[in-house]
Amino acid sequence: MDPFFYLVILAGAIAGASCGLLGVYIVGLRLPFVGIFISHAAMAGTIFSYLLGLSPIWGPVVVSAVTAASLAAIRPERSRMDPNVALAILFSLMLGLTFLGMGLMQGSRSEVLGLLWGSILFVQSKSVFVIGVAAAAFVVFALAFNKELKVLLFSRTIAAATGVHETFVYSLFLALCGIILAVNLPLVGGLMIFSLITSPAAAAYQICRGHRAVVAASTGFGVISAVGGFVFSYYFNLPTGACTVLASTVLFALAVAWRALAGKAD
Amino acid sequence: MTPGSLVLSNVRVHRGGRTVLQIDNLKVPPGDFVGIVGPNGAGKTTLLKVCAGLVKPTGGSVWMEGLDLTRLGAWRKCELRQHIGYIPQVAEYNAELPFTLREVVAMGRTSIRPLLTALKAEDREVVDHWIDTVGLGDRRNQTFRSLSGGEQQKALIARAMAQDPRILMLDEACANLDFDWKYQISEMVERLYRQNQITVLMVSHETSVLPHTCGRVVLLAGGRILADGGVEDVLSPNKLNGAYHGGLRVADIGGRKYIVSVSRSLEAGGTS
Repeated sequence: MDPFFYLVILAGAIAGASCGLLGVYIVGLRLPFVGIFISHAAMAGTIFSYLLGLSPIWGPVVVSAVTAASLAAIRPERSRMDPNVALAILFSLMLGLTFLGMGLMQGSRSEVLGLLWGSILFVQSKSVFVIGVAAAAFVVFALAFNKELKVLLFSRTIAAATGVHETFVYSLFLALCGIILAVNLPLVGGLMIFSLITSPAAAAYQICRGHRAVVAASTGFGVISAVGGFVFSYYFNLPTGACTVLASTVLFALAVAWRALAGKAD
Repeated sequence: MTPGSLVLSNVRVHRGGRTVLQIDNLKVPPGDFVGIVGPNGAGKTTLLKVCAGLVKPTGGSVWMEGLDLTRLGAWRKCELRQHIGYIPQVAEYNAELPFTLREVVAMGRTSIRPLLTALKAEDREVVDHWIDTVGLGDRRNQTFRSLSGGEQQKALIARAMAQDPRILMLDEACANLDFDWKYQISEMVERLYRQNQITVLMVSHETSVLPHTCGRVVLLAGGRILADGGVEDVLSPNKLNGAYHGGLRVADIGGRKYIVSVSRSLEAGGTS
């Protein structure tokens, strides 16, 4: 079989696993807007890197890691503004910058449009290596700070009050989140990567008991969605992002149905 | 540098152009049980959050065990706060996540173990000990979200105690519970206070949930301390009528103080 096909499968598995794992924290921390904001920051970063002739990998990675980490400065208990409202405004800014950048672009925009929808044309051994390294870094982080992350998920107030190194772990988490989103963006697509983060994790939270089970299920659901979507896209020449997102939504619906049929998972 | 002590001096908290908390001086010696009471918006939760370093005061100092929480760097502040067992209000934790009871209680061991290390077998023993102590031994592998409100509150107390705290801070731990659970929780806090040498700060808008061992009550109103002293002294109609809008009586039933609002018609001698 076509060796490219295997690369597509590998890319799908890595993208799905890293987005599924990341989603456990994005969904658990009730940060859906952070996910949307960072993915759009990554998109703006990618487009301006093209415009300025910067490295298509490091440009967006640096932009989204820095913007993401700066979000740690938003302290819900200290600001009078709902953090989700603040994020919605920042998100609009990033979307504005993205489309401004696209307007400024000369000549063909098809490659950049691919960033919005996701395309397996971006699957190359180099990009697979990059998403692999980012995924590995996030796994190491999640293992190393597992006990702190659990407290953060449960309650940032408890974490802060009882001396968990909350700000440090949270900032590091956001920076890694920016990196994961930036490197997976060309494959999954800026408009849809957010669903690959939320749906698998939301499905896992529906049906699992215990943190470890959530992590395993969400990662698995991410892999199934992305590999399924990528393979579908390969055979039928459809946008990868759309296929992946539809697959993850179907999984989520199945999880909800399963919970309803099987009764409470607890 | 006495373990478990807390001193607030000249603390001011401004929010939205008004002063929400103004505490000139509040000394809590180690081993005190202090009830913090007052009407809605009196600044009870803000006071507790200032004590825990969650709200940085606009001015003043919060001395915990001789160190000023407001001036410590992030790292030292974390080290000092390992000794705070904190039980927040319901809105401040994600009760719907599928953490098991054991996982939630084990969170109490997190800050006392260094970064980059996992919890040990010995930590798990402590966790199980506290789960048994609060009487949830048969629920340890159930999810937190499947527990009732009262059981969740017990689980949070077990979490706080697993941390081996020197100061236990409870923010409306009995709110939203029926009267039976209220007193179960109240008696549990009392027992823990007696058996462990800890300082307790208990915020409650209901004076009747303050246990017998609560030797001192701070009455807040409008962000200021209106009265600070023994239970009999502070929970008297005179002092309370200054904080609320009058017409209050205090009923003493079995040592617990119930505040009853008496309507004007009743006071005039009518019946209802």
